[in-house]
Amino acid sequence: MTSDVKLLDINNVAIGIERRKRETLVLVREANFDVNYGEMVGIVGESGSGKTMICRSIIGTLQRRGASVIGGEVLFEGLDLRTINEAKWKSLRGKVIGYVPQSALAGPNPVLTIEKQLAEALSQVDGEGSMKNRSKELLDLVKIRRVDTVMKQYPYQLSGGMRQRVMIACALASRPKLLIADEPTTGLDVTVQSQIMELLREIRRDLGTAIILISHDLALVDEVCDKIVVMHAGATVEVGPTSSMAKPRHPYTVALNSSRIDVAKPGGELITIKGNPPSVGQWNPGCRFAERCDYVQPDCLVGDHPALSGKKGDHQSACLHADKIGKI
Amino acid sequence: MSKRDVLMEVENVSVTFGSGSNSVEAVKNCSLTVHEGEPIGIVGESGSGKSTLARVMAGLQPPSAGEIRFRGDNVFKGNKSFQSGNRNQVQMVFQDPYGSLNPQLNGLSAVAEAVRFHAKVGKDEAEQKALELLERMGIGRLDALKQPRQLSGGQRQRVSVARALSASPSVLLADEPTSAIDQSAQAQLLKLFLGLLNDGLAIVLVSHDLGVIRYLTKRVYVMKDGVFVESGDTETVFNDPQEDYTKMLLASIPGELGKAARAKLKK
Repeated sequence: MTSDVKLLDINNVAIGIERRKRETLVLVREANFDVNYGEMVGIVGESGSGKTMICRSIIGTLQRRGASVIGGEVLFEGLDLRTINEAKWKSLRGKVIGYVPQSALAGPNPVLTIEKQLAEALSQVDGEGSMKNRSKELLDLVKIRRVDTVMKQYPYQLSGGMRQRVMIACALASRPKLLIADEPTTGLDVTVQSQIMELLREIRRDLGTAIILISHDLALVDEVCDKIVVMHAGATVEVGPTSSMAKPRHPYTVALNSSRIDVAKPGGELITIKGNPPSVGQWNPGCRFAERCDYVQPDCLVGDHPALSGKKGDHQSACLHADKIGKI
Repeated sequence: MSKRDVLMEVENVSVTFGSGSNSVEAVKNCSLTVHEGEPIGIVGESGSGKSTLARVMAGLQPPSAGEIRFRGDNVFKGNKSFQSGNRNQVQMVFQDPYGSLNPQLNGLSAVAEAVRFHAKVGKDEAEQKALELLERMGIGRLDALKQPRQLSGGQRQRVSVARALSASPSVLLADEPTSAIDQSAQAQLLKLFLGLLNDGLAIVLVSHDLGVIRYLTKRVYVMKDGVFVESGDTETVFNDPQEDYTKMLLASIPGELGKAARAKLKK
């Protein structure tokens, strides 16, 4: 755990997808954040802001969708993931970097019992003891009770929350250093959601796993994460420790905050964000949030998307007029 | 509130699926009243029977026992619902904005088709009315001409609401309208719902999200395993829940809302 090498460093990453006539559509540009060992980082943003794309770049599954990292660096323990081959990926993906996909209900293989499912994940990693005992250990780890019954069951016999626990168990089979959970509680009940969050917190505490939690629920991320990354139209617009993010320094985060219903008065005014996020390939010059921004100034509309201010690791904002926020 | 006319009455309704030893009683002996222009909430976990109850209220599913009345008229005669009209008066918005629109119809056609059905008007007039409805839901002409797949989840959900409104209903049943869309889209939709309430529409909001329920409704029913375990003024239920189940639900909400409930639970 050297202090200068981060577990993960996303450095000015751009992701594009190739279309016909060799035209490249840029999905993500100016993505910037890092993850320390054992840290829990939340990524928030509207649908289409590039959250999932960033994750795919970390587990190397962009190519399957015809997309690729076209700029910047994705550094995992100092290793540039852009340069490695498929063999190297196989030693990282699902081993050092675990992934819990978005849809818990579609996640587990429907024709495998939970035992076989776990055995498949465990067969990829070395370990001691019989497969069965190791599978049971994993289920214990994700707080599944009645382990013996569940081992014989098929995914369809389990509730959404249980299925998501099984998915997390599979991802933990290799005791990864980094676990990526892509909207792990979408479509699940609030009660199940709070149990899954509690589980992630315990995994982080007991195993020291760093976790990236992707969500569009700011209130949720606010509660469980050490650091928050806000994405808008493919760019990191604000990043900072959770404590200091209570005072947002980017108008988009301000707007997201004010659309939270948990802090709104019943029937009171909900401030919604103007318009829709700009479509991919239709980004205007200057700041991509400018069109929807209450603080927009003439200089926001020209040049490149503003870079994040300050130093990595501090509270950074990609707003040219961050000092004006809260003063209008 | 009490002076308002009674719009819908659900009396001792039960719904049983299957028969014999395999039967499941999804809704057990539930009663509730919806007044004109009133926002009420039904909250509970998956499998608690809240969607089934909503489907019964919309006339899509006959109850096994009990009665649903709309303005005093019994909704179900045998297995058939709304035989004496009023079908248009109760409209439903479904959970899944991806599955509830015809993928081959753009927003305008989807809504115009419903307008033509309900208002029996010509094509041009129907489109005009549809555009107005969509406009009211924040969908401009440009977006109205897009196919559902080109719209975001929030936009699709608003098209669904516009379609439901084309029948000029007096009650809107919304089954988890916000659970599949992101936070800012959710805020937008809730804002529109507030506007509809101001126009006198009654809304029955079915959700597991207590934040949404608290924001929009005045009265809430907490459902567990097919039974209403607690009901009352939303404000009161939130500030002073009586049932352990309600307390647990409240404590699960992330953020500020759940904090107070969690603190109380720990005591």
